[in-house]
Amino acid sequence: MVGFVFLFAWPFAASFYWSLCRFDLINPPEFIGLENYRRLASELHSQQGFGLALTNTLYYSVISVSLSVITGVLLATLLSAKVKGQAIYRTLVFLPSVIPIVAASVLWIWLLDPESGMINYLLSWVGIPNQNWLNQSRSAISPAGLTEVSQWIHGGTLNLFGSKDALILMTMWGVGNFVVIYLAALSDIPGQLYEAAEIDGANLIRKFYHVTLPMLSPVIFFNLIMGLIRSVQTFASVYVLSEGTGEPGSSLMLISMQLFLSAFSDFEMGYTSAMAWILFVILLAATTLLFRTSKHWVHYRTSS
Amino acid sequence: MKKRNLFIGGLFSLLACAALMKNWQHDQEPQIPIGRSEVIFWHFWGGEDRDVVDDVARRFNASQTEYYVRPIAMPGNNLQAKLFLAVAGGDPPDIVNQDDPILADWGQRGVIQPLEDIAPASEVAAMEHWMLDSARRLSTYQDKMYGLCNGLDIRALYYNKTLLEQHNLQPPQSISDLNEIANALAPFLSAEKKQRYGYIPDSRRLWAWGYVFGGDFYDASSQRVVVDSPPIRDALQWMASYAQNYGADNLAAFRKGDQSLPGKTFPLLPRNDQEMSGRYAVIMDGQWRVRNLAAFTHNRQARGVAAPEFGVCPLPVPNTSAGRTNAGWVNGNFFVFPQGAKNSQGAWEFAKFWVGYSNPSQAAQTCSQGGWIPVSKTVTQDPQFQNYLDENPLFRTFIELSESPNQFPIPSVAGAAFFRRTIEQAAFQAFNNSNADVDEILQEAEQQIQTHLNRNHNLRHGGHVDP
Repeated sequence: MVGFVFLFAWPFAASFYWSLCRFDLINPPEFIGLENYRRLASELHSQQGFGLALTNTLYYSVISVSLSVITGVLLATLLSAKVKGQAIYRTLVFLPSVIPIVAASVLWIWLLDPESGMINYLLSWVGIPNQNWLNQSRSAISPAGLTEVSQWIHGGTLNLFGSKDALILMTMWGVGNFVVIYLAALSDIPGQLYEAAEIDGANLIRKFYHVTLPMLSPVIFFNLIMGLIRSVQTFASVYVLSEGTGEPGSSLMLISMQLFLSAFSDFEMGYTSAMAWILFVILLAATTLLFRTSKHWVHYRTSS
Repeated sequence: MKKRNLFIGGLFSLLACAALMKNWQHDQEPQIPIGRSEVIFWHFWGGEDRDVVDDVARRFNASQTEYYVRPIAMPGNNLQAKLFLAVAGGDPPDIVNQDDPILADWGQRGVIQPLEDIAPASEVAAMEHWMLDSARRLSTYQDKMYGLCNGLDIRALYYNKTLLEQHNLQPPQSISDLNEIANALAPFLSAEKKQRYGYIPDSRRLWAWGYVFGGDFYDASSQRVVVDSPPIRDALQWMASYAQNYGADNLAAFRKGDQSLPGKTFPLLPRNDQEMSGRYAVIMDGQWRVRNLAAFTHNRQARGVAAPEFGVCPLPVPNTSAGRTNAGWVNGNFFVFPQGAKNSQGAWEFAKFWVGYSNPSQAAQTCSQGGWIPVSKTVTQDPQFQNYLDENPLFRTFIELSESPNQFPIPSVAGAAFFRRTIEQAAFQAFNNSNADVDEILQEAEQQIQTHLNRNHNLRHGGHVDP
């Protein structure tokens, strides 16, 4: 109880009070009402500061979480196939997720080097020209990205991927954590369901769609929530990739980075607390929405 | 079996004791001589520079009967947060060395003391007069000295003289000379992949080029941000023209390649013995590179391999009357004296010793050891430092530049970190978007910075800020 009060309840309440204050850690908090929230609203409107950070975070979270779920389920399905060397493949998929984030980030800086990085080398095999990954602020999934692709198809250059895409790629590398959970859930699906589907004449795809996915849905739901929270909290990799600046062109200025800089570079603890509270509300709303929609797509096994 | 377990257990205990003893010896702090008061000094130097810092502290301690300095190396990252927490907790160090533009922010928040609170006014005034303009600007906030600059970082253009001569080119004296060098060594608008560039501007260096083109980012008298002014617009337009000529992506990729060189080698240097030039013919960098060039030349000569000749020149001026000669962006290291420190007097004595206020030869020795730029002409003129300049002639240009009245830091305003970030983001945006309207970008940056500075100022004074 004491731990709860001092380590959770008090900081929680204090940060709310500070969000209504101007506070720089040194001088006593000065009550300024809703000024910090007004500023956040203004930045949201102008797409500067908090607004830009929220947009960046949204792009990163939506794409990385979606891809993590899709890749995780597909990989787990493949890895559950009883083939020779199954344990080795499983280990290889899980291995990246145990590498410390800082070490992995440094490794990815090398891999994504535009001149000598391995990723560009691999892309060149399929005819994709060198990408500038960590040096550009552009986003692949955007109207500009579509224009680039269409120009490329018509013989132009292709400058598609930017630093957020690089971050997503790096996040995908650590998908092994999710895969382990999916594997456990897959092994729990009763074989009779597949046998029944086979008797009904279902092929592999139909079995996956009508048996595997519904049976995995509670775990997908769990990973979706955890992935969402984790993506919003992503900090260490962004800090290393952008050398603590959120650059290039503010494209790696995710909410976590914006929080860090406004707290420990600009020492605007009140504004930072307000930002953290808005983030909390957004996460709460997103989670509630997911829970509300879950009754339509999450299937729990009942004992009857 | 029992005996074996006992033996292994004993061995482990012995090793653990030895490790503990070693650790204990290592952690032993030096004894403070009786009758002296301790001065806690936080700094962020590491590597070979740390030896120089320790040596200054040792020399100061040897010269003293009253104070004893204990240097503590703190990692540079988040030093601000550590200091703020130390001040808030009532146990700050006595003196801190910094190199980020934080003087105004810390001064406004009352984290550090103005010098007039720890030293006689006459001494502070004399010190102000004694220092170079650039050092004084780095130490001042709202016409008060809040810090004491102890080393300057000056930027100039390094060039490969041998390579330029091969192409019948002279070191650049004007922006058009620089463009000519760039175009001669890596023709503009050619699609060919470049292995070497004559020169390419770095979007982070709008600070330097803005001042060279005659701009001022901030007008202290009216307290207005003046980023969207013709000289700064011209500077940014000129920088962005390189991105248009070569392709922003090509330049970004090439620059990234500089960082992939082993040990982040100075990219002006040839990569192997068969080459006589590096990735650039001309590049902007600070005085610390003189050491790299000297080591490279010495290494090649010792092995009997021909080395190219290098030179240094000031940033060239634009071909208009608005430009400033010997101009640039200066930053550097400075001492600050935290509020609530127990021994500010001792800290002040140590800071004076370091900069060579009453003993220029001591500072000359420090600057020669570290390859640092002194903050006063008195130190530069010391025979010991003159010897250093004779041995390192390229360093002389940096000294001349440090004495120029046209070297300016990031404006000393509360919110300087935001100011810096926003300018660099604006320059990046202009550099990387060929359709960008430079005027619009600068206008937007100016408005953002002004709002931020107003907020800092007005809220501090109980006012209201319109978002």
